[in-house]
Amino acid sequence: MATDPEHRPIGRRMRWQLGITVAAVLVVLLLLRMWSGGDDTEAPDDDGFDVTGALSGEEDAAGFARVTGPEPLSFPEDHGPHPDYRHEWWYVTGNVRDADDRHFGFQVTLFRFNVAADPPEREAALATNQLWMGHLAITDTESGAFHHRERFVRGAAGLAGGVADPFRIWIEDWEMTGDGEDMMPLRLDFPDDDLGLDITLKPRKPLVLQGEDGYSRKGPEPGNASRYYSYTRLAASGELMVGDTTHGVTGQAWMDREWGTSTLSEDQAGWDWFSIQMEDDRDIMFYHLRRNDGSIDPLSKGLLVEPDGDARVLSLDEVELEAQRHWESGGGTRYPVAWRMQVPNEGLDLRLEAVMDGQELRGAFRYWEGAIRITAEEGPDGVGYAELTGY
Amino acid sequence: MALLLPRSLLLRASLRYLWRHPWQLGLALLGVAIGVAVVVAVDLANQSASRAFTLSTEALTGQSTHQVVAGPEGIPEDWYVGLRREHGLRPSAPVVEGFVRLPERDDHSLRVLGVDVFAEAGMRPAIGAITGRVPVGELLAYPDGAVMLASDLARLGLEPGDPLTVRHRGRDHTLRVLEGMTPQRELDATGLRDVLIMDVAAAQELLSREGRLDRVDFVLDERRLAVLSELLPDGARLVEADQRAASLAQMTDAFQLNLQAFSLLALVVGAFLIYNTMTFSVVQRRQLLGMLRATGTTRGEVFRVILLEAAVIGGVGTTAGLLLGLALATVLVDLVTRTIDDLYFALAIRELSVDPASLLRGAALGIGMTIVAALAPAREATAIPPRAALSRSFLEHRRRRWLPLLTVAGVVLGALGVVLLAATGERLTPAFAGLFALILGMALLVPPLLSLSVRLLAPVLGATAGYLGRMTARGVGASLSRTGVAAAALTVAVSAVIGVGVMVDSFRTTFADWLDATLHADVYVSVPGGGAMEPDQRQRLEGVEGVDFVTRSRFVRVGAGDHDARLRVFDIPTPAEEGFRFRAGDPDRAWRAYRDAGAVFVTEPYAWHHGIAVGDTVTLSTARGERPFPVAAVLYDYGTSEGAVIMGRQTYDNHWDDPAVDSLGVYAGDGVSTEGLRERLQSAAAEGEQLLQFQSNREIRTLSLEIFDQTFTITQVLRMLAVLVAVTGVLSALLALSLERAREYAVLRAVGVTPRELGGLVTAQNALVGVLSGLFAMPLGLGLAAALILVINQRSFGWSMDLAVDPWILLQALGLALVAALVAGLYPAWRMARTTPALAMKED
Repeated sequence: MATDPEHRPIGRRMRWQLGITVAAVLVVLLLLRMWSGGDDTEAPDDDGFDVTGALSGEEDAAGFARVTGPEPLSFPEDHGPHPDYRHEWWYVTGNVRDADDRHFGFQVTLFRFNVAADPPEREAALATNQLWMGHLAITDTESGAFHHRERFVRGAAGLAGGVADPFRIWIEDWEMTGDGEDMMPLRLDFPDDDLGLDITLKPRKPLVLQGEDGYSRKGPEPGNASRYYSYTRLAASGELMVGDTTHGVTGQAWMDREWGTSTLSEDQAGWDWFSIQMEDDRDIMFYHLRRNDGSIDPLSKGLLVEPDGDARVLSLDEVELEAQRHWESGGGTRYPVAWRMQVPNEGLDLRLEAVMDGQELRGAFRYWEGAIRITAEEGPDGVGYAELTGY
Repeated sequence: MALLLPRSLLLRASLRYLWRHPWQLGLALLGVAIGVAVVVAVDLANQSASRAFTLSTEALTGQSTHQVVAGPEGIPEDWYVGLRREHGLRPSAPVVEGFVRLPERDDHSLRVLGVDVFAEAGMRPAIGAITGRVPVGELLAYPDGAVMLASDLARLGLEPGDPLTVRHRGRDHTLRVLEGMTPQRELDATGLRDVLIMDVAAAQELLSREGRLDRVDFVLDERRLAVLSELLPDGARLVEADQRAASLAQMTDAFQLNLQAFSLLALVVGAFLIYNTMTFSVVQRRQLLGMLRATGTTRGEVFRVILLEAAVIGGVGTTAGLLLGLALATVLVDLVTRTIDDLYFALAIRELSVDPASLLRGAALGIGMTIVAALAPAREATAIPPRAALSRSFLEHRRRRWLPLLTVAGVVLGALGVVLLAATGERLTPAFAGLFALILGMALLVPPLLSLSVRLLAPVLGATAGYLGRMTARGVGASLSRTGVAAAALTVAVSAVIGVGVMVDSFRTTFADWLDATLHADVYVSVPGGGAMEPDQRQRLEGVEGVDFVTRSRFVRVGAGDHDARLRVFDIPTPAEEGFRFRAGDPDRAWRAYRDAGAVFVTEPYAWHHGIAVGDTVTLSTARGERPFPVAAVLYDYGTSEGAVIMGRQTYDNHWDDPAVDSLGVYAGDGVSTEGLRERLQSAAAEGEQLLQFQSNREIRTLSLEIFDQTFTITQVLRMLAVLVAVTGVLSALLALSLERAREYAVLRAVGVTPRELGGLVTAQNALVGVLSGLFAMPLGLGLAAALILVINQRSFGWSMDLAVDPWILLQALGLALVAALVAGLYPAWRMARTTPALAMKED
C-alpha cells in the first residue's frame, strides 16, 4: 500500500516540531534552572555541561549548515554524523523482558552538538567544535529502580564521533555499531559502572521518513526545519546489566534519527511525547506540545504506522489525550504518569500508564523518559515510551 | 582557689613591688613579648607557607587518588583516549601544565592548567563547573580561551572578554579571558590562585605540547588500579596523588624546622630574662619576705606568690608578644615563601593565614617558659627564714658555692650536646636538641667562667687603674648572681650571632667558589622563564662567528622510584669539563664511565637525601621503561637543595626521545671579545621569533649571589631579633644590678668618689661584663657555626661547605657585646652618678 502523500508533510512536521521543541525546552529548562538558583538537593547546576551553552545563540544560526528543503536522503552516508549542523541525535528506547518474564525499559541516546560554527584551524587533535552527550537509562520495573548515566565528551582525537560506513558512532566505550546496510542490525553496547546494556536491534518494519521525504518543517521559514527519520519497530535481544546481575532479554525497540540547525519557539513550555507499539503490530507516535499559557499547540500531532510500514498522520483533533494521574519527583517536579488516549477513527481507547512513576533523568538537565504499558478498553494492548519535558 | 591564692596582704605587697619598679617590669615584659613574638611569627609564617602549599596542591589534585605522571616527553594523548575507549577507565582527567609570564605585568608568573572541563566534574568540581558558565565552544574550538579566579582578574585589572598577553618560552601569545570564576569552596578560591585554566587542546598549543599530556589524574579503586598498572606507557609512572604532594612538602620540612629552632632560641634568651627579673625581685625583697614570713605567711604562699607574679608577667608579656608576633609574621611570611620559592617550588599565595593553634602554642610556650624560669627564684624566696633578712653577701656567697655545681652541669650538658650532634645519624631533631644542650651548657658555664675571669683580672686591673679598677673587677664578681645571668644571656645571643654569621658566610663563600668554578662559558643563552629553545634559534646561535664551542643543557624531571628527580642533561665538549667539582669518585674514571658507559653523576644533596654513593645505581623511568644507571661520582653542587642527577647527552638520547635543549653556554674563540660575541649572538637571535636572554658568567654569578642573600634574609632577621632579646636582657640585668647597688654606690659617693668616677666605675663594670661575654661567646659561636655547617645544614639540605671564619665577624660580635652592655648600662650609670648619696642610702 502506498503512503498517503496528503498526510506525509503533516507527519513530518509533527516530528520536526518535536525535534525543535526538544532543543527549545532544553534551553528553557536550563535557563529556568540557572535562574531559579539550584532548587534541587543534588546535581547542582554547575555539575556538567550547560546545554544553553551548546545551543547558545539560537537566534543566530549563521555559519551552520541549514536544512532548507526536501532533499533525497542518501544512505548509508546519512546514518553517520552531520557535523556542520548544530545538533543531531541517535535515539533508541525499548521494552524488554528476561527469561523470567521480568520487565525492563531502556533508553540510549547519543547527542551531537556543534558548539562553534566557524572554528579556526587548530594544531591540537583534541581541539574541536563537536561535543557529544550520551544518556543511558534502565528501568527495572520489578524492583522499582530507575538507573541512569550521562556523559559529555568532546568529539575529537577519537574520544567520541561517528562514521557512516561501516556504521559506528560512539562516546568513549558507549557505542552503536551497525552491521550491514542502513545501520541495521544495530548493536548497542553501553557498559558503565554497575549498569550497562548490550543489545542488538533488527528492523521489523522499514525505516520511515518523517516530513517530506525526511524534510521536516517547523515553521513558515524554509530554513526552520530538520532531517528526520525513524525505525518504529525493532526486534531487540541481548543483555542488560543492573548492579552485578546480567539479564538476557528480548523485546522491541524504537529508533529516531534527526539533525538540523533549528530556531526554537519561544512560547513552547515543553511536551508530552509517546511512542506506542501495539500487539496488532500497529505503532503510534503522538505528542502534545504544551505552550506557556497551558494550552496545547495546534502543531501537536502524531503518526500511525501500519504493520506493513505505511504511515499516516494523526492530527491533533483525531486524538484525545488526557492525563489521569500525577507523580511528584524528589526535586518537586510534578509529572503526569497515566493517561487516557482515544483514537475513535482507529477504534482505539487506550490507558497509558508508566510501568513505574520514578523515571526521571537527573543529569545536566532534568526530564522524564520512561517505559509505559498500554492496556486497552478497546483495541489491542501494547508497550511504549513517554517523554515529558518542561515540567 | 582560696587555698591556692596567697593572702591579700602578700598579693598587695607583690603588686606594689612590681608597680614601683616599672623599668624592671617593663623590660621583663618586653623580653617575654619579643621571645613569644618571634616564636609565634615564625610559626605563623611556616604555617602560612605550608597552608599555601597544601591549598594549591589540594585544589589542583582535587579528588584524584592516583596520577600517571609523564617523563620529559609527556604521555601520548592517544594513550588516554585508548584508556577511555577501550577500558572505560573513569573518572580520569588529562592535564597539561606549565608556567607562563605576564610581560605587561612585571613578569608575574601564572600556572597554566590545561584540562578537559568535561572530565573535571568527578575530579576538580570547581573546574568542572566552568561548563555551566562559559560557552563551551569558546573553550573547545578556540585556542585562546582562558578562565581565572574572579579575584585574580580583579587583581590584574581584567574583565571577562579582555585580551591577556602571556609569554611562554620567549614567545608572546594573546589569550582571551572568558570568565572569572568564584568557587564556593575556600580551598578552590585560594588554591586556584594564579592558575590560568584552559582547555587541554589550547594548553597543548600554548605550551607546544601537541599530542602530549603531562599527567592523567584518576580516581581508582582496587580493580581499576590493577587494570591501569598493566597499561602504563613507557616513561610514565603511576603515583598516589597525596604521596606525590607529601614528597614535595617534605622538601621544605628541614627548612621550616630550622626556622623553628631559631625562633626557640629567641625564647630561650627571653627565659634568661625572666629568671633574672624574678631572682632580682626576690633578692631585693628579702627583708619584706622575711617580715611576711614572720607574720605567718607560709612558705607555700611565698612560693605561689612569686609564681603568680611570673604568671602575670608571662601572661601580659605573652599577650603583647602575640600581637607583636602577628605583626612580625606579616613580614616573615613573605620572606619564608620567597625562600621556599627560591629553594624549592613556586608558591602562589603569600598571605598570612592565622592558625589559632599557632597562637595557642606561642601562648603556652611564653607563659610556661616564664613560670619555669621563675621556679628557682621562687624556691629561693621560700628559703628566706622568718624575721631574718639574709645579707646580700651571704646570698652571693651561697651562690658562689653553686659554682662547682654549675660548672659540672654545664660541662655535662655541653658534652651531651656534642654527642647528640656528632652521633645521631641522619635525623635533624636530635641534632637540634644537641645544639640547644650545647647552648645551655655554655650558658651554665658563664657564671663560673665570669667568676674565674674577674678574680684573675682584679690584680691586673688594680695594677693599671688603681682601686677603681680593682673595684670594677671585684664588683662584677661580687654580684655574680646578677652579672652571671646577664652575661649568660648576652653570651648566648652573641654566640648565636657569631654562629649564624659564620655559617651564612661560609655558605656564601662556598657557593661563590662553586659558581666561579662552574661558570666557565662566556655567554649563557636561555629562554626567559625556562623551557626549550627553538631549534632554529639554536642553529643560528651556534653558527655565529667567534664561537669556539658551546655546551648544551637540558633540564627535565623524570621518575626515580618514589620521587621525581631533577635530571640535568649536559652536552659538554672536553674543555668545559673542568666545571665539575668532584666530592666523591675518581674524576678520570668517573668521566670515562659518564661518557662511555652511560653512568651518571649525582649532586651532593641528591646523594644525601637518597642515600646514594659512588658505585650505587639510580633507577630512572626512561622512555623505554625503568633503567638503572650507575653512579660514577658525587658532585659538589649548590644549585638546588633537592639535588639532581647529571647525565651525558648521549646517554639521555639513548633512553629518551627528547632532542630539546634549554640553554647554551657559549665559549668565545681566542681573541674574541665577550661583548662583541654577545652582540653578535643577540642580533642572530633577533632573526628568529623566540625571545632569548643572554647573560655573561659575571651576571649569572651576581644574580645567583643576590638570590642567595635573599634566601638568607629570614635567617639574618631572626639573628637580629635574638640580639634584640639579648640586649633587652642585659639592659634589665644591669639595671637591676645598679639599682640594687644604690646603697653601695651611695656609700662610695659619701666617702668622696665623684659622680664622674662613679659613672666610670659603673660603665667599666658593664663594659667588663660585655667584653667577657663577647669573649665567652666566641668559642660557643664557633662551635655553633661548626654544628650548623657540619651537622644541621648537612642534614637539612645535604650541602657540605667549608668552615670559613672571617675574623671580622668575630670582631663585630665582640663589639656588639660591648656596645650592648654599654648601652644597657648607660641609664643605670647616669642615674647612679646623679643620685644624692643621702637619698640613695635611705632607699630600701
